Amino acid sequence: MTSGARTSGRLGVALAVVIFAACLLASLALGPVSLSPLKLAHYLMAGPGGSAPGSIIFWQIRLPRVLLAFLVGAALSVAGVILQDLFLNPLTDPYVTGVSSGAALGATFGIVLHLAELPWMTILALIGGFATLAVVWIAARRRGKIDIYVLLLAGVTISYLVTAVIAVLMIRAGEDMDAIVYWLLGSFSGRSWPEVKVALFALPFMIVPLFFAKEMDILLQGEKRALELGVDVERAKRVLLVTAAVLTAVAVSVSGIIGFVGLVVPHIVRLLVGPSHMRLVPIALLGGAALMGIADLLSRTMLAPAEIPVGVVTTFVGAPLFVYLLRRGRA
Amino acid sequence: MAGERELTSAATGELPKAASPALLSVRELAFAYDERPVLRRISFDLQAGEFVGIVGPNGSGKSTLLDLVDGVLRPSAGEVCVNGKPTREYRRRDMAREVALVPQHFTLEFDLSVREVVEMGAYCRGKDAHSGGDAELTLARLGVAALVERRFTELSGGEKQLVVLAQALMQRAQLLLLDEPASALDVSHQLRLFDLLQQLNRDGLTVLCILHDLNLAIHYFDKLLVLSDGEVAAFGPPDEVLRPEIVEAVYGVRAYLHKHAGRTYLTFSPRLRGERLGRVHLVCGGGTGAGLMRELVDAGYDVSAGVLNALDTDEETGSELGLSMAVEAPFSPVGDEAHAHNLELMRAADVVMVTAVPVSHGNERNIRAALEAAAAGTPVWAVRGVLDNDFTGVTAELEPAGARLFADEAGVLAALRERARRASLTQP
Repeated sequence: MTSGARTSGRLGVALAVVIFAACLLASLALGPVSLSPLKLAHYLMAGPGGSAPGSIIFWQIRLPRVLLAFLVGAALSVAGVILQDLFLNPLTDPYVTGVSSGAALGATFGIVLHLAELPWMTILALIGGFATLAVVWIAARRRGKIDIYVLLLAGVTISYLVTAVIAVLMIRAGEDMDAIVYWLLGSFSGRSWPEVKVALFALPFMIVPLFFAKEMDILLQGEKRALELGVDVERAKRVLLVTAAVLTAVAVSVSGIIGFVGLVVPHIVRLLVGPSHMRLVPIALLGGAALMGIADLLSRTMLAPAEIPVGVVTTFVGAPLFVYLLRRGRA
Repeated sequence: MAGERELTSAATGELPKAASPALLSVRELAFAYDERPVLRRISFDLQAGEFVGIVGPNGSGKSTLLDLVDGVLRPSAGEVCVNGKPTREYRRRDMAREVALVPQHFTLEFDLSVREVVEMGAYCRGKDAHSGGDAELTLARLGVAALVERRFTELSGGEKQLVVLAQALMQRAQLLLLDEPASALDVSHQLRLFDLLQQLNRDGLTVLCILHDLNLAIHYFDKLLVLSDGEVAAFGPPDEVLRPEIVEAVYGVRAYLHKHAGRTYLTFSPRLRGERLGRVHLVCGGGTGAGLMRELVDAGYDVSAGVLNALDTDEETGSELGLSMAVEAPFSPVGDEAHAHNLELMRAADVVMVTAVPVSHGNERNIRAALEAAAAGTPVWAVRGVLDNDFTGVTAELEPAGARLFADEAGVLAALRERARRASLTQP
């Protein structure tokens, strides 16, 4: 009977891996220039530096962009799982902590100050994200404990404040305004290996929640019950909040603010495999990556050569799926 | 069953460490939420294997005390020691291995299975989680093994209570704290739960349990801790600490101790507001007056009665309620001495009431006494039924003497309320 539940968990993971692989393959193969799986394998084996146009498209454009989309999707969706379950609030997404707004402010400064080349942009975005986290953290700290509700409120409040500052900057920005708007909408267009290197920084943080899977399960009963059952609640909260903040800041710094994935992927996965984190975290990771990959694929192919902002596509793909699953209830 | 034996040996195996160390020792404990003091000067010890209840009015600090014992809250002053070590020196996980708590309210809105919920209790056991027996075995000890594959959110309130108890038992702690575990349960589940706790206690678990029902507390627990307004009002065996005067002081209600069918139990009446409504004397017997006695006492009257034979139902009720009574020896006719006492009580009364008591030569003098009171101007109110059970004919004199006759007890009580209303109207 125990094995029944675990097998279905393993089955879920296996299924998620298959879907993930299929999405990865489709994202790499399809585009304005389609590459057959055979050619993909060939280019991959031959390594970068090939002179064939296909090889250049694959190594210089397609692969980094797809990797970036998958990494950002995974990071946002894992951050969403963490924050929804820490706040015990289904409306929470990675952007409520104010980290994303802070990152956006950093990036906006970068654009206004014409520091828009890559390292600066990312560095400013990361600084903005972590600075907001620090402010929110200090606001929510009482007698050595983090008050999770104060944190939520402070995060939302500071988001509004930072957004107001961004609006002022945009008004003053003149011809840079377009760049700011475009960046805020979120996109993987024109991103390449340097962004991927930044995004890879998020990878180890995606694994962190797996080490806290039991603690996160127990925290679903509330902080007090978790204390009673022996969980070091403050330590778990510290580690998990910082993890979610790093994931969000890294994702926003390379791609702008892409909505919906961090809110809805955790819900979809919870409906499919239940709330237990040993299953929820890895499947949400793969699912978020796959959804973002497909959304980016659609964004660059549907109206090619024009691009639809990827945040728009995630919403178009995710919303009907979510409503369908909500109505169907748990399988 | 293997699990039970394991639990017992685990619990007793800890004992020989010192001569007789208290499992739980609370010293001069004080606690305040912000500035508002909740607990003051709390001191008591719990030995391993004890079965102790905590009672006290709402807001007396019972739940806060449990949170302090479990180390979830830090004392403002004093300390709580578990196995000789202050709770603040424990890491949470180690604390959970020593003390398990079953909270009063438990919310979990996520769709987890009962097995998953119960297994969370083994968290503090870390890698040796499964040495404590699995979820199924623990649920089986509580008689609800069938729940193991159900969804937790689909369970009834009583089933959830048992699953949370199973979760706490998975901690395999020596000390189990429970916060009103019976409050959501019907009477049969309440008794089953306390029987279960008693069984767990016999298997070696030390139990400290908050409850509201004082009669369950008397019946089940070896010792009771009475909390009142943040302080220990009493601590000891139930019959010592739940004396009526202590209950009155702590809860602000009148309490009466009854012995019935080999059990002791308490009943309660609202406390008087201080004003004196008046004094009523009852002529009754054979159980015809017991109901009225209680009604009158609850309504706030001073009540006397007589003459009653000792061991008569009315006499026993009267003494439990603490009434002044003229009493004669069992099965004896009313003698001169008792009669004189009865007359004296009637003279002090504002109203004399006669119930539908059967009148024979043995108690004829009581009616005569009532007639005398009527002659002296004291209102005499009689239930008409007394005329029907009269073997002497004396009650025929009641009405001519000026006594008012009523169809039943309700009529008498209504007249009494009317009289009290008029009296309050005439007062300035």
